[in-house]
Amino acid sequence: MTNVKDQILMDRLAEAAREGSISRRSFMNYSMAAGLSASAATGLWTSKAQAAPSMGGTFRLGAHDGNTSDTHDPGSYVTFSMIQVAHTFRSYLTLIEPDGSLGPDVASEWSATPDAKEWTFKLNDKATFHSGRKVTANDVIASLNHHRGEESTSAAKALVSDVVDMTDNGDGSITVTLEAGNADLPWLLTDYHLAICPANEDGSIDWKSGDGCGPYKLTNAEFGVGYNFVRHDDWHLEGAYFDEVVITVLNDPNARQTALVTGDVDAITQLELKTLSLLQRDPNIEIDNVPSAAAITMPMFCDQAPFDNPDVRNALKLSMNRQEIIDKIAFGTATAGNDFHHSPAMPYWPEDIPQREYDPDEAKSLLQKAGAEGLSVEIKVADSVFSGAVDMCVLYAEHAKASGIDITVNRVPSDGYYSDVWLKEPWCVVQWGARPTPDVMYSLAYKSDASWNESHWQNDRFNELLLQAKAELDNDRRAEMYAEMALLARNDGGTLIPMFPNFVYARRKNVQHGPDLAPSWQMDGARACSRWWFES
Amino acid sequence: MSYFVFGFYALLLTASCLAAYFDKRTWFLTIFAFTLVSFVLGIVGGTSTLQTVTLLAGLLALAAMVSYAFREFLVAIASNNMAKELRTAPLTAAFGLFVIFTYAVAGIFAPWIAPHGEAEVISTAFAPPDDSMLLGADQLGRDIFSRIIYGTRNTVSLALSGTLMAFILGALAGLLAATTGGWFDQVLGRVSDVIMSIPSLIFALLMLSIFGGALATDTTSFALLFVFAMVTGLLVVIARAESNIMSWVIGLAVLVAAAAGFSTGMLILFNPSEVILIMVVGVIYAPRVFRLTRAVAGNVVVMDYIEAAKLRGEGKWYLIRREILPNSTAPLVAEFGLEFCFVFLLVAGLSFLGLGIQPPTADWGSMVRENATLISFGDITPLIPAAAIALLTVAVNFVVDWMLHRSSGLKEQ
Amino acid sequence: MGDILGLIGKRLGLGLVILLVISAIIFFMVELLPGDIAQAVLGQGATDENLAALRREMGLDKPAIVRYFEWLGGAVTFDFGNSIVTGERVSVLIGERFRNTLFLATYAAAIAVPLAIILGIVVALLRNTVFDRVANVLTLTSISSPEFFLGYILILYFSVNWGMFPAIASLSQNMSLWDLLHRTFLPALTLVLVVTAHMMRMTRAAIINLMASPYIEMARLKGTPPWKVIVRHALPNAWAPIINVVALNLAYLITGVVLVEVVFVYPGIGQALVDNVSKRDFPVVQAACLIFAATFILLNLAADVGAILTNPRLRHPK
Repeated sequence: MTNVKDQILMDRLAEAAREGSISRRSFMNYSMAAGLSASAATGLWTSKAQAAPSMGGTFRLGAHDGNTSDTHDPGSYVTFSMIQVAHTFRSYLTLIEPDGSLGPDVASEWSATPDAKEWTFKLNDKATFHSGRKVTANDVIASLNHHRGEESTSAAKALVSDVVDMTDNGDGSITVTLEAGNADLPWLLTDYHLAICPANEDGSIDWKSGDGCGPYKLTNAEFGVGYNFVRHDDWHLEGAYFDEVVITVLNDPNARQTALVTGDVDAITQLELKTLSLLQRDPNIEIDNVPSAAAITMPMFCDQAPFDNPDVRNALKLSMNRQEIIDKIAFGTATAGNDFHHSPAMPYWPEDIPQREYDPDEAKSLLQKAGAEGLSVEIKVADSVFSGAVDMCVLYAEHAKASGIDITVNRVPSDGYYSDVWLKEPWCVVQWGARPTPDVMYSLAYKSDASWNESHWQNDRFNELLLQAKAELDNDRRAEMYAEMALLARNDGGTLIPMFPNFVYARRKNVQHGPDLAPSWQMDGARACSRWWFES
Repeated sequence: MSYFVFGFYALLLTASCLAAYFDKRTWFLTIFAFTLVSFVLGIVGGTSTLQTVTLLAGLLALAAMVSYAFREFLVAIASNNMAKELRTAPLTAAFGLFVIFTYAVAGIFAPWIAPHGEAEVISTAFAPPDDSMLLGADQLGRDIFSRIIYGTRNTVSLALSGTLMAFILGALAGLLAATTGGWFDQVLGRVSDVIMSIPSLIFALLMLSIFGGALATDTTSFALLFVFAMVTGLLVVIARAESNIMSWVIGLAVLVAAAAGFSTGMLILFNPSEVILIMVVGVIYAPRVFRLTRAVAGNVVVMDYIEAAKLRGEGKWYLIRREILPNSTAPLVAEFGLEFCFVFLLVAGLSFLGLGIQPPTADWGSMVRENATLISFGDITPLIPAAAIALLTVAVNFVVDWMLHRSSGLKEQ
Repeated sequence: MGDILGLIGKRLGLGLVILLVISAIIFFMVELLPGDIAQAVLGQGATDENLAALRREMGLDKPAIVRYFEWLGGAVTFDFGNSIVTGERVSVLIGERFRNTLFLATYAAAIAVPLAIILGIVVALLRNTVFDRVANVLTLTSISSPEFFLGYILILYFSVNWGMFPAIASLSQNMSLWDLLHRTFLPALTLVLVVTAHMMRMTRAAIINLMASPYIEMARLKGTPPWKVIVRHALPNAWAPIINVVALNLAYLITGVVLVEVVFVYPGIGQALVDNVSKRDFPVVQAACLIFAATFILLNLAADVGAILTNPRLRHPK
């Protein structure tokens, strides 16, 4: 902290923290990015006296991504507006708390056998459906079965394919048996598809009626247009401060923004980044900028020249000026990647691995070592990957010139990108949605035999650790394993990770929320309606 | 009361008195009405409003002077006959010609005029104008001025080709249907009904989704262009050949060659995805032109002089070319100007829905869309390409109005 | 009048044939779109297993031609089937949306049509004056700006800066008529700006086109005042192209307003159609397209009948 600039940055951060305009999580991230250790940052975080939440009011939320053909079927949830609606009127077994930890919802507590193969979930006996009926073990089993079996059409089928059996223990708890140990099961159950719905006689679920056991009762639903809710007074958790909630689908970014500015709605999802700095000037508007677990990756085929040499891969990783990319492409709303697919928004994040910086000289010497000076490579990218994808590659190609690397950016058609380019071309750009835990992410795309192993990376130690960590119930030991895996991926892996894009959304000043915002979805993990309140 | 305000009213009053003295009635009324309006504006809006008014008046005068000079320039370089016509052109038409001329120069010589490349990132996002960037930078730090210049080339050539295609096909079919009548008229009418009954945006969306992706290849677009050229040519052959077998054979042979040449030429000028966009535009707008032509020509066909020509034994091609077309040019030309705007708008609307011209190719419609949200914050960046679209369509329609005026034979004040 | 009734009957019959052709075109276009409904519904969560299960459930394993005729069988008895994705009746899904669209179109047309024709007559009367030129430039500018852009500008001034009208036109139940008109004013105004210019210019062109005719010359020489020449002599003969353009624009108001719906978040049928195209939900796309097509055919028929009524010469084709 000898640098004057850093000092100014810290002052600003502290001030922002005092005003409550950034969350503790972002404060920690930014201050650590500025070179502070975690303990020092914690010390600087002065807890702000929070006003107690007050009840009342009608919360009007403008949500993006709604479609006329949306349905209440939890197996076909796909648009963000439905995810938001689902978290408002339905409940899940477990949930992700604002601070990013795992918390109880319909399941009040859970435990596992030491091999993590058998999990027992105790259900909250206060949980009731809006129709007045209690939530029973039968409902929970039927809700999970909706996504299992031959005939299931659910998009979450792969998620629960490991479940062998579910039994009702008769004492208000259920036991789930897995094929192989999985310490992450309670995390997986937070997935937005796995909503708890009332069971029918025949073991199917009644998803059509719109009955749920969430914080609000659905009173009117017009898909792709809007949804109305009133508070469910017997909800089993703390919160649900608003009397009523109205969610309006506002697909056009400009419509969302003007509706917020004119006060037609109280909060909106998904801001358009290029107008962020302009919106910030409005004194009635607060912007929430929350690091997320979504990621942009650039996988290189580790079994194909020139990427088969780790020095070449590291030279390419060193040749990117991530800060400039975050500033120009993401308008400052992203967290720098460190070449392992484990974002600070995920549990077990290894905080003491140093950030990889832009270092063309080091890259040059690595290339020399590999005998690959004057390297010339091609990267394929489409506009649809994310907004600014092509520009990011063009910018990166400029950065890499300093290391003597010539990168050709090949822009390919958006249509069919994920079927024709991804997993087929030696180097391309990919956007990954948020996954709840590192295990899910690594098993999906980094395990040597995974069908989506996008970089063809084979590392025996990594695979061994992955299997061990999956069934490890001791959190500290698990965290150590993930730290070692992260280091392996960072220094040997074939995936360059430029950044983890943030969730950026906004609210009017009279809408208040707690010190943290959940990193799992936009709008406080899509639970803003039950967690936020109006200033009295 | 500043010197500016004093001078402003003094000038206006002097001008109106002079006009009155020299008995220029219209001039006097205009200037004096303007003076009275300025009194109100001055009281309501203060000095700054008056300054804006002066600025606008100055711009208007500048435009008028440019138009006048440009007209004289054209008169000076044109041949005698042309010069005579040009002298009658109103200033608005001269202004239109000037704008079209400027755009044409900008489009043709874009790489030499634009200071930076089409997709070159040279600065930070939304950088203000400076010495190297006349209009500042867009959301990625690309020079807006350069992109507008390149946009002229891409947008205008695309819209013009699309409109021309629609017009050639639609007008030919319409004229032929009006002269032939009977089942031919009925069939064409119903085909156009079918196409027009499907909303244009939906139709474009479906067609672009089908052809725009993996099918946007040289082969596909060549085939589409060829089919289009054959259909259009066939109409000409029908009109010319009547029922003479020999003319049919010759006509068809010429047609195939011409269609192949046309398709190859188009593919040299445009890339496959642009060709498909042009075709979609052509197919969507041709029935509109057909209907209008059919209605206008239908009114002409029932005239006595057509009857007389038919009795003389004139062929269809002669009727169309010498009798019907000259008598229905006016509404057709007016329609051309408007359809040209609509094509622009359709392409811009498609970009808005995520289809249309692919980035990073600069085109005005997508430039408006990319930056449209800025307008909510009072930022004028998106207004610049929108103004470019508006200026060109206004200019085209000024010229169209003049031609309309000329061809309708109106020589009144 | 008998011949006109006969014509109407004939055209209505033809209209049904056209609808049939359109339904086939739309069906096969939706079939040709890349990807299918099961993939669109499952998105990123698609695996081979659940794709197959969903296709079976939706009946997509049958050949396309069989599915088309099944749908057609229902359609002739006015049963347009259920949405494949949501299972809801298509009539329920679309009915409400179509009423909203009709309301907005009527609102805009009630302002735009009289305005355009009156303005057209006035500028024809005052042709080549300052008024004509100003009206010309203004209308041209308004139609040459993209409609989403016009919408944004109106929002900026009328709702953000001046706060006169709401920025989003979302509807709710039990709104009074006045509330409704107030809330939907900006989308209606945008549409008025978009369509007025076209109709006005055609009115002007059609009238001026007739001004050189000998009978107009005659009327003028008789000393009839200019406005009377236009309204009494020129206008009756200019109706054909005017009615045509009005019909075109009315159809546009119903079928072409997707962009305005998106910008103002108005729950009309266009948005529903675009959504369902992206989901490849054929029965909904089909029903919406047929409604559009039927609207268009009826308006056109009205225009043609109008043209014939105003020009008796067309009634007896030689």
